[in-house]
Amino acid sequence: MSNDKDFEISAPRKIKKSVGTKTFEGISYLLLTLGSIICVLPFIIIVSGSFTDNTTILTKGYSLLPRDFTFAAYQTIFKSPKDIIQAYKMNVYYTVVGTGLGLMMITLTGYVISRKEFKYRNTISFLIYFTSIFGGGMIPWYLMYANVLNLKGHTLAIWFPALMSPFLVILMRTFIVGAVPDAITESAKIDGAGHFTIFFRIVLPVLKPGLATVGLFLALGYWNDWYRSSMFSTNSSTWQLQFYLYDLLNATTAMKQMASNVSMKTADLPTESVKLAMAVVATGPVLLFYPFVQRFFVSGITVGAVKG
Amino acid sequence: MKKKLLSAVMTLALLASVVGCGSGSQSAAGALDQQGVSEIPATEATTETAETTEEAAPAAAIDLSEQVDLVFYVMGDAPQDEELVEEALNEKLLEKCNATVDMQFSTWTDFQQKYANEITSQGADLIYIANWLNYGQLASSGAFEELDDMLDTVAPELKALVGDSALGMCKVGGKIYAIPNTWPEYVSNGVKYREDLRAKYDLPVPDSLENLEAYLMGIKENEPNQPLLAVTTEESQGFKTAFDAAWALNFKYSWVNINGLDYGLTANYDTPTDVYDYWFSDDFVEDMKLMKKWADAGFWSKSALSDTNNSDAYKNGLCVAEIAGQNPNKQVTAIADFTNAGEGWESAYVAYGETNGVIYPGHATQNGTAVVRGCKNPERALYVIQTLLCDDEVNAILQYGIKGTHYDVVDGIYKNLQEEAGETPTFPYEGFNTWNMRNGDTKLPQATDVALQEMFDKYAKLGEKTKFPNVNIYDGFSENYEAYSAERSAVGNVMRQYLAPLQAGLVDDVDAAVEDFRTRVKDAGLDKCREEYTKQWVAYCEEYDYK
Repeated sequence: MSNDKDFEISAPRKIKKSVGTKTFEGISYLLLTLGSIICVLPFIIIVSGSFTDNTTILTKGYSLLPRDFTFAAYQTIFKSPKDIIQAYKMNVYYTVVGTGLGLMMITLTGYVISRKEFKYRNTISFLIYFTSIFGGGMIPWYLMYANVLNLKGHTLAIWFPALMSPFLVILMRTFIVGAVPDAITESAKIDGAGHFTIFFRIVLPVLKPGLATVGLFLALGYWNDWYRSSMFSTNSSTWQLQFYLYDLLNATTAMKQMASNVSMKTADLPTESVKLAMAVVATGPVLLFYPFVQRFFVSGITVGAVKG
Repeated sequence: MKKKLLSAVMTLALLASVVGCGSGSQSAAGALDQQGVSEIPATEATTETAETTEEAAPAAAIDLSEQVDLVFYVMGDAPQDEELVEEALNEKLLEKCNATVDMQFSTWTDFQQKYANEITSQGADLIYIANWLNYGQLASSGAFEELDDMLDTVAPELKALVGDSALGMCKVGGKIYAIPNTWPEYVSNGVKYREDLRAKYDLPVPDSLENLEAYLMGIKENEPNQPLLAVTTEESQGFKTAFDAAWALNFKYSWVNINGLDYGLTANYDTPTDVYDYWFSDDFVEDMKLMKKWADAGFWSKSALSDTNNSDAYKNGLCVAEIAGQNPNKQVTAIADFTNAGEGWESAYVAYGETNGVIYPGHATQNGTAVVRGCKNPERALYVIQTLLCDDEVNAILQYGIKGTHYDVVDGIYKNLQEEAGETPTFPYEGFNTWNMRNGDTKLPQATDVALQEMFDKYAKLGEKTKFPNVNIYDGFSENYEAYSAERSAVGNVMRQYLAPLQAGLVDDVDAAVEDFRTRVKDAGLDKCREEYTKQWVAYCEEYDYK
């Protein structure tokens, strides 16, 4: 706060302003540095832990640099990599199918409700928006897919429920309204273009940042989701990657707890370092991929925000 | 005007969404209740048909002409060879009951929620039940089929095998809703300690509070750098204790036990309906002073209250005894761990019940099978349960997989062939997690089970001498706290905030801290909880004749 004040008061005089700006910048840099350290540190600890000997983790705790450096955890994972590769494959499948179809449906819907000549666009927009405020809750949602649509155990149940979200549809509509002035579509219409021509040849080409943003939202959502596998999968070969990892963790804790009630085997549970290595294997590719599309993400969100 | 209207609508919408969220969490129970109500006529219909068939053909009571496909919902993760074993199992089941079983697994993620979903959606026909999955509450809200009549008509063999006493423990409101497994299992809590260290320094066996103290003190004197106990608050999340070290008091009182009563109430095993108070007694102050003495002696870390539970601490030598949440099976695991580690460590076990004289096996509802209400063929489902549990051939496939591929029996002991060959087993022992299908007569022991069985035999002999011989009178009780859930959670908070440091001995003045705890827990509404709880508990004891 005090910085803002300095800034305002000293605005007319040039030299003082730069001092104020400098303080402001200094503090921003400091805060941002702290923020990024807070974000990065846990990840470094995960990576270093995955290269640390398991007993060292248990006896000495985690450290920033791996003590007793070893590849043992990765060797364990890749000794029988069948499960993790399967989970990867399924995750790619869900992400590609879900993002592709979802993007198509969201864009088409967004286009339709952005057209002024569409009589019921307000009603339909409202209905879409309405679902973002009022939801049936978890049980009806589950019963809908499990009993009414009978999708339990089907891979459809994993990608279908997340194809569209009200937020993304409205975001897309805003994009279309902002990117394509009425004059252009009108002139296209005069030249004899139908809605499909307008959509594919005029709207889509100027919609790239919008597509990238919504696509990234969808793709990240699909990549990181585990909940639908948890609810609907009946076979571990259809699991999403994140669920595979999450369940591994949960199985360890649950079985340790259970062991106080029931006679059961608790050996053969994954060790700390294996769990960490799993996390690295699962997040690694996304981490490499993310910086390249991040610019779309940032610009896309701000565009949407300003025009909304 | 329009704007105002809009903002009013938005506010309402927001409010409604908040309210909506609030009720969402209760919807599982609500849905169950509704289901129970709507489904009751259906069951009456089935019982009627059951009766008519009985009249028509008293001997052979079940019609096997049509093939029935059942879903069997169990806990945990599927084994790798799920399909292979299921195929082998179904081959036999088709032959014997003209039915197939599709095993479905909850996984360990969100399993409580998914278990409730499964019952609400009636996706399964057979389902694993246990007291830790709220069997009592679910049964009383109508989640499962009543089995009383069907047991006589369809599954007399099963009824004879399980026995009336165990079936009686599965009764809720006078009706049987579940078939327990028939393997008596002792999960008696106790102290796991390092026998090698005890022998090395010639210390007493920690079989009482004094001896435990002497054992820990002895090690502290001889190996000052050795951490002694790795106690946290994680084994004390209920309404009995607030810090793990307090479980050691089980040596002194038989009712300081995970099966004991809540809210600082106690009842002796011999006189369960005679409920009295502990937190406001002089014993309590004395015990808390002992805890402080132990804390001051450095038995556990000063940060114990905020530490997270490290269940590998004992295995890695980071503590020399474990006193909370232990059971014979964990001891057996520890023996195997120490053998693998090869450092010459030895683990030994003393059950609290050996000292205080009260010991009993797990309750019948600990591992059982129920037929989900809404199952289209409840009779066949029960018949399949009978086959799975009583037919040796089928039971062996279900529990151990395929003989020759997954396991073999050498000298009457189970051997996992893949484990022997150094591979990851594709179908481990009880690979379907069907702990509810353990048949005590035919259960194959694993190599480690020899030690386990020795302990069980010892406990069974002790259990014979109690007033209710080898009967767990506590675990069938399920508290219904709807009427005082606010007070209950307030009491829980006070326990975490004030009882935990007291039991961890991390207070300066025990007397003052005890007084503080007493006033606060009273203010939180302890009396209301106690009153209701006692009422329910006494009613439970009367119902099952524990007097």
